[in-house]
Amino acid sequence: MSGAASVTARLNGPARFLLGLGVLMAFAALGQALVGALHLPLPGSVVGMALLWAALGTGVVRLHWIADAADGLLGILGLLFVPATVGFLQFLSAGAAWGLWLLVMTAALLLGAGAAGLLASRLLRPEGSPGQPEAGP
Amino acid sequence: MIWLTVTLLAFAAGVLAQLRLRSPLANPTLIGTLIVAALLLLTRVPYDTYLRDVQPLTTLLAPAVVALAVPLYRLRALLARQWRALLLGGLSGTLIAVAADAGLAHLLHLTPDAARALLTAPATSPVALQLAPFTQAPPALAATLAVLSGLIGALILPPVLSALGVTHPLARGIALGAVAHGIGTARAREEGEHTGAASSIGMGLAALSVTLLVALLA
Repeated sequence: MSGAASVTARLNGPARFLLGLGVLMAFAALGQALVGALHLPLPGSVVGMALLWAALGTGVVRLHWIADAADGLLGILGLLFVPATVGFLQFLSAGAAWGLWLLVMTAALLLGAGAAGLLASRLLRPEGSPGQPEAGP
Repeated sequence: MIWLTVTLLAFAAGVLAQLRLRSPLANPTLIGTLIVAALLLLTRVPYDTYLRDVQPLTTLLAPAVVALAVPLYRLRALLARQWRALLLGGLSGTLIAVAADAGLAHLLHLTPDAARALLTAPATSPVALQLAPFTQAPPALAATLAVLSGLIGALILPPVLSALGVTHPLARGIALGAVAHGIGTARAREEGEHTGAASSIGMGLAALSVTLLVALLA
């Protein structure tokens, strides 16, 4: 592995970005294939994320292969959702019902996220960093 | 090609607006969506045509979600120490959101289609899409409401969490990820790597718990 590491460390930035993108796409495809083969009702990309995390942990994939590509893609994550969010256009004909749908959704978001945030704040174990020192209950 | 260009420029306009205005409404995804939607309506171009044109962006979404493993790996020691807060916070947030969606849809007498589509809104849209046959919701509506749940969550939740006194990055992240999945995670990453990593854990847990819930009830 040390031989491979020394070779990949000498790749220039753009080449390392392509290597990283290729590895990320391979794990996305792997996740997709696994979900299809096992008929899991989960997104292939989330399964791919778990597989890549395991691969990093076991040393099959080195962090420096994918770090540039991962940081680059995550930096524009918000852009990649625009095609999906524009999809609301298909349901414009629902008209006034949208008001109620969004009201229900907003209430659910506030209740769920409020509970998650407050409960997690309670359960966090105190440590020096990051953020504020935990006050405790 | 033209709609891919429009989408890139509309999102870039959103990023510039965010830098200038410092308002939660100046969210690049929201601004990009509104500009693109307005242009599609003006030119009467159907959504399917648009979707074909921006296929490269859709293709990049899967490797981008896979890339969330990188911050998780970098912060593995911290996340392992705080697994109880992340697990219990995330699961309770998602399940309360699903219960609230179901209860309020019933109280307000929403149409069965909308009520069923709302059930999976706290999970990421591919999950909502794949669970639609089990909840008997129209698949496209379930996916759309899931996406909008993320967008609205990304807009309103950060100030609300601050008002509730939820200041710790991991607590803010898990709250965003539990109900606002991918778009919430994109917003959480703006607050820092810790918030973003906790949010991607919340998104994964939400995908699992909503799937499990639907499997048990259907």
